[in-house]
Amino acid sequence: MPIGYYFALSALMFCIGLAGVLLRRNAIVLFMCVELMLNSVNVTLAAASRLWGGPDGQVFVFFVIVVAAAEVVVGLALIVNIFFRRGTLDLDAPRLLKG
Amino acid sequence: MAPVLAQAAAGTANTAEIILFVVFGAIALGAGVAMVTMRNIVHAALMLVINFLAIAGLYLALQSSFLSIIQVIVYAGAIMVLFLFVIMLLGVDRDDLLVDLKVWHRVGAVAGVGLLAAALLWGFSGTYTSQNSRCGEQAPATAAASRSAQACVGMDAALAADDEGSVGVIAASMFGRYAFPFEAAALLLTVATIGALILGKRTEVHQDDDPAFEPSAPVPTEEDLVEAQVGAPIDPDDDRNPAEPGEDV
Repeated sequence: MPIGYYFALSALMFCIGLAGVLLRRNAIVLFMCVELMLNSVNVTLAAASRLWGGPDGQVFVFFVIVVAAAEVVVGLALIVNIFFRRGTLDLDAPRLLKG
Repeated sequence: MAPVLAQAAAGTANTAEIILFVVFGAIALGAGVAMVTMRNIVHAALMLVINFLAIAGLYLALQSSFLSIIQVIVYAGAIMVLFLFVIMLLGVDRDDLLVDLKVWHRVGAVAGVGLLAAALLWGFSGTYTSQNSRCGEQAPATAAASRSAQACVGMDAALAADDEGSVGVIAASMFGRYAFPFEAAALLLTVATIGALILGKRTEVHQDDDPAFEPSAPVPTEEDLVEAQVGAPIDPDDDRNPAEPGEDV
């Protein structure tokens, strides 16, 4: 089983998540697509860890999971706040960042 | 007899890996596509759970059982429960924004992502898909045999050297070489918890605090209220964000 198949699979999953980020306008769905992209990169790291026979890649996956958990906690709190302020999760609706 | 048995065991293990990869890879890709295209957000979140569980299976195929368990507990358990909790708290389980995208936006996004996928697959083919990069099919000492292809070392030697398996291998690295990042990760989690607590507090929104504040449902003025009592028809353009119960004071 060549290790490149794992790389190809995670590349495809990354592209699916990227397509979701580009196509969806709902903030929660967009956030879930970012999680999908993070997970595909984790698969790449685990596959590379096996390719070189060392534990470093798996340790990095652990750290990525920790950072993703922290990011989800803060991001969802932000999304809840935005929803209570603006009454919508449409990311094109807030004009805050438009000059 | 023992080498034959070992070879047979290696053969079955390889077959098992291929089966694991095909089954869980197909599930992961299918669930990912379903999540991106689904209209109902709760269903999309459940598709993401299926995707995470399939990725846990892929970690098993990659000889990292610790990551597999962490993936189930942290991602499929804790993080997705948080997502579903927020979706149900906000009551936004239907997403009608998916349909009102511009066509050129859709075509451009799909074309760009397809181009990226093609480039990535082209980059991965060759070096990493050659015969030499197959894991568990040759002796692990062929790293220097071929310069053209990256040889797969595999985790077998590392796992065999440690009684605890994947957990022991990772722990020896995490509490040795990566002890400082580990502590930093603990600090990061603490900071995130405090930040979420502060962000979660409900504060009164004042228009002066936020110059770009645009209420999604227009706040009715005195004249609107009088008109509503007379029985004026509701603006038909205004049905995208129906007024919330809390805002029609």
